[in-house]
Amino acid sequence: MKNIAKDFTHYLVLFGVFFVGLLGFVLFSYDRNFQTVIAIFVAISYVIWGIVHHAIHKDLYLSVVIEYLTIASLGLVIVFSLVLRV
Amino acid sequence: MKFAHKIAHLVFPRESNNQKAKLLHSSSLTLITIAFVFYQIILTLVPKLGSKILGYAANISPQDVIRLTNEKRVQEGLLPLVENTTLSQAALAKGNDMLGKGYWAHVAPDGTQPWKFFTDFGYKYRYAGENLARDFSNPSSAVDAWMASPTHKENLLSPKYKEVGIAVVEGNLAGVDTTIIVQFFGTKYVDTIPAVPVAEAKSQATPSAGTALLTEKTVIPSSPIPTLQPSPIIVSNKPTSGLGRVLVSPFDITKNTSLGLVGVLLGILAVDGVVVSKRKITRVGGRTFAHLAFLGMIISIILLLKAGQVI
Repeated sequence: MKNIAKDFTHYLVLFGVFFVGLLGFVLFSYDRNFQTVIAIFVAISYVIWGIVHHAIHKDLYLSVVIEYLTIASLGLVIVFSLVLRV
Repeated sequence: MKFAHKIAHLVFPRESNNQKAKLLHSSSLTLITIAFVFYQIILTLVPKLGSKILGYAANISPQDVIRLTNEKRVQEGLLPLVENTTLSQAALAKGNDMLGKGYWAHVAPDGTQPWKFFTDFGYKYRYAGENLARDFSNPSSAVDAWMASPTHKENLLSPKYKEVGIAVVEGNLAGVDTTIIVQFFGTKYVDTIPAVPVAEAKSQATPSAGTALLTEKTVIPSSPIPTLQPSPIIVSNKPTSGLGRVLVSPFDITKNTSLGLVGVLLGILAVDGVVVSKRKITRVGGRTFAHLAFLGMIISIILLLKAGQVI
């Protein structure tokens, strides 16, 4: 929790991105194509956030980037499987 | 005991997994992602291989769609639409055309416009519009989806329209059991007093763009038009036999599986975060709190998403 409080601004940005993404999903519930774009935008933002955050903390390693990429990919696959399912 | 150790290895940070639950390792997450993709491929392929165990089980009455549409109109201070059986028959023809030719669009691949179905059934229109919906399990969710889309809402709440026709068709569309709702709006040419007989057409949708509606205003040379009275006939070609009926929705299966998977990962992440924090373990890896937030957002999206599409 101490680390979260210390990096409050970082997490504020991350939660801001997630909030905008969720809002987009609600507002554009009728537009599957746009929802797909929103999902990609949020996933890329999450990976970029991870890279920048760890770079600032000087603990950015390839394994860390891969970890963010794999979680983002899993999230994207799950969302796509629902958004694009017909 | 061996089994318990294996489970602990998978879900609990300990020495055997380098102080990180094995399921949270990038290699495990990659395997889970690949397995999920294969699972989706199987869900998609099973109906195409002829099995009837997957598909959409819908319970949609055209009368309910009309009633709900009119409720929305009345709420906005508009006159309710009158059901027109000619429009309903035209809508049914459009629905069957989509199933027969295997397309999901306002305009058929051969270029057939929705207005052709109006005129084929002798409906001489001054204004015409079309809303389409598919794979909704009940009429209210379909009407709600139209209302959520600005362009469909414009059609639904347009004061230009006086009549409506609904068809609910079920069949196999591109290998998937589907329920399609076709909603045709119209105002007969004879019901209007055209001040200037100038043809004007407005199209706001293309078949692939996914935009929401088609509307058309046109002037058709006046000719004797049979007067069609509204009647409570329900136009639908739902199969009557219970044999081969669809049982489960692939969307619901995917949704439940996704909820289970993300829920389990969230639980493991939370435990991992608490244990690592309490034991003050230092390790190279991403931020558990950020992963929790991301997966939390994914689970919110899964809960928000509903079956059904409108164009």
